[in-house]
Amino acid sequence: MEAAVSKSRKFVIRDWLMSYIFLLPAFGFFLVFVAYPMLRGIYISFFDYSLRNFDFIGFDNYVSLFHNETFLKSMRNTILLVVIAVPIVIVFSIFVAVNIYKMKEFSRSFFRGVFYLPAVSSVVSITVVWGWIYHPNYGILNYLTGMLGFEPISWLGDTRTALLAIIAVLITTSVGQPIILYVASLGNIPTSYIEAAEIDRATPWQIFLKIVWPMLMPTNLYVIVITTINTFQCFALIQLLTSGGPVYSTSTVMYGVYEQAFLLGHFGLASAMGILLAIVIGIISTIQFKYFGSDVEY
Amino acid sequence: MRAMKKGLMTVVGVALVGSQLVACSNNANQSTPAATPDASKPAATQAAAKPAEITWWNFPNFQTLDGEVGKYEKQIIAAFNQKHPEIKVNLEMITFDGGPQKLNVAIASNTAPDVIYDAPGRIIDWGKKKLLAPLNDIVTSEVKNDIAPAFWKQSMVGDQIVMYPLNTGPFMMAVNKTVFEKIGALDLLPLSRPDRTWTVAEYEKALQAVKEKAPEIIPTGFFAKSTAGDQGTRAYLANMGVSRFLSEDNSKVAINTDNAGKALDWVVKATKDKISVAGAASLAAADVNDLFLQGKLAFTLNYSPVLKAQNVSNKKVQFEDVLLPFPTLDGSKPKLEPFLGGLAIFNNGNADKIAASKKFIDFVVNDPEWGKKNVIQTGGLSARTSVTGLYNDPEYKYADLARQFITDPPTIADGYAEIRTFWFPELQRALTGGATGKEALDAFAAKANEAITKAKAQVAK
Repeated sequence: MEAAVSKSRKFVIRDWLMSYIFLLPAFGFFLVFVAYPMLRGIYISFFDYSLRNFDFIGFDNYVSLFHNETFLKSMRNTILLVVIAVPIVIVFSIFVAVNIYKMKEFSRSFFRGVFYLPAVSSVVSITVVWGWIYHPNYGILNYLTGMLGFEPISWLGDTRTALLAIIAVLITTSVGQPIILYVASLGNIPTSYIEAAEIDRATPWQIFLKIVWPMLMPTNLYVIVITTINTFQCFALIQLLTSGGPVYSTSTVMYGVYEQAFLLGHFGLASAMGILLAIVIGIISTIQFKYFGSDVEY
Repeated sequence: MRAMKKGLMTVVGVALVGSQLVACSNNANQSTPAATPDASKPAATQAAAKPAEITWWNFPNFQTLDGEVGKYEKQIIAAFNQKHPEIKVNLEMITFDGGPQKLNVAIASNTAPDVIYDAPGRIIDWGKKKLLAPLNDIVTSEVKNDIAPAFWKQSMVGDQIVMYPLNTGPFMMAVNKTVFEKIGALDLLPLSRPDRTWTVAEYEKALQAVKEKAPEIIPTGFFAKSTAGDQGTRAYLANMGVSRFLSEDNSKVAINTDNAGKALDWVVKATKDKISVAGAASLAAADVNDLFLQGKLAFTLNYSPVLKAQNVSNKKVQFEDVLLPFPTLDGSKPKLEPFLGGLAIFNNGNADKIAASKKFIDFVVNDPEWGKKNVIQTGGLSARTSVTGLYNDPEYKYADLARQFITDPPTIADGYAEIRTFWFPELQRALTGGATGKEALDAFAAKANEAITKAKAQVAK
């Protein structure tokens, strides 16, 4: 009896050890590429770290950010980007997914592919294409609006339109993954619930609101959190299309981090900006988990 | 099992704390930018023929051979190795787009290259931050006297030479002469005048002629998307407003005059009147130059003999591009910022590498055969006054003549890297109707002057 217990304990220990050995490479990568840079970023944010200096200045970087007009404008733009783009992405993705889901297999695959294409394409190439579409002198958008009799617009060079133009690109590159996820989730909703509602003469809108939407909550949570984080970290679009202009109207916190660190060499200040952004993302994600979290299982 | 778990967590904890300690120890090195045990001594003489391996990062300053980036540079290295086989030179080509960022990261992480060929805008900044090895010991008095004081001003920090000047050329405008020939308006360009100087009124007349007689061509361009090529916009407004960008001692902004404000207002009005390119606030210098190379723009603001040579293969249609000085409000002589290129050495704390780098630089600039060849390959003029007649081309002859208009550039001002980041948002503000020209220039002046004061205080530390 004692020998059997000892043998079983041996197996448990061996399994336990094996699992840690398999986890070790991933953990190593995590330490080197995630934990260390993160901790070092926090550390650097307390220093005046430029090409020449490395002086401890405590919270000065953080304090200066709250007096920095450009940073505050960037934070405002970032939040605006999230507030406008994320709901549109969610609503548009659900709308498209519901319609795609109703289609026959061939059409469903075709449209899934069409909407997913921007998600797997390089952001840089898509952005360059959009740059040409928006070009003030020979962009196709001005060509089309010109056909309708409108004067050419400098879409990216006007403070009134630049952020909206960025948001439009952001939406096209962001909807691919949510659509795929929603189509998959719709397939997991038991058809008996919908059939029962139909027998009870529920309208399609009622079915969506009372059955589909609640059943999509786990997917909603994932999509909302991921889209929000990605939107907060939006950089390539800004860098390539507007460089934060005109007059900082499209500058975001991520672009500010790049500008301070790599263009001006203010690594301490850039780290502080990055940490503040991480804190904001953390707070908003926590709120989202609280309000969109659900225990739905199907 | 619990004990093992506890042990594992301890190991992880130690690893995390350890990584922080490593971070701290690295910083100790960073706070003193490269130890300099022997840097003050004449390094070229320290290691006579010691084998060394150095790294050279190069922007595409030389025209390519057979369209291959870096091929010419490899030929320089091969020729250098015939004389110095003991020195291995590793070449890395960087781009003007991402190179500066890459250099900032490399410097901050103590992995800067040994040799860099760049312009004073960045090199002087590194020099002021004491990141470069002085080159005084390899510049002979003959060379020193053969290079204009204005160029030395851009190559020195105090009494230390931090950049060995190689090539130069005045930054100018350019015109598509073929367009004016086609519309029969060649007489509107100042080409019959030996110095080609002209007034804003004459320039405007030429632009109107293009608008009326060649409606498919955009008369002129302006750009304000980012800092790249900002020299063009600076010189354009400064000349049209007969002012300077910074004061003569670089201690404050001088561009915010009434006339310069009016010049910026003129650019805004020209855009509305469709004699200047639409959407300038979202266009970069490269976009505007591309339009010029596609034959869609009659004038471009960012040109030089160097760019003219480099653009030969980039033209989408064939046309004759001719260099012109910026027009001035009253027809007075223009003030042109010089392009200056040269080589510098990062002080990475290794005397042997510094000595080897000095030999390499000396070869690139002064070798009897390769020195001139290298200047020609850049498409520029020699920084040495005595080296002339490198090209048999009327445009180069004019560029040589236009050297008389060269003024000292603001790139050597304290805090220049920061100053230029305030320039284009204010241009955008004027272009988008958020401010008048004067208001935008005043706002720029206020921010830039603060940056200069702050940078001066840091340099004085």
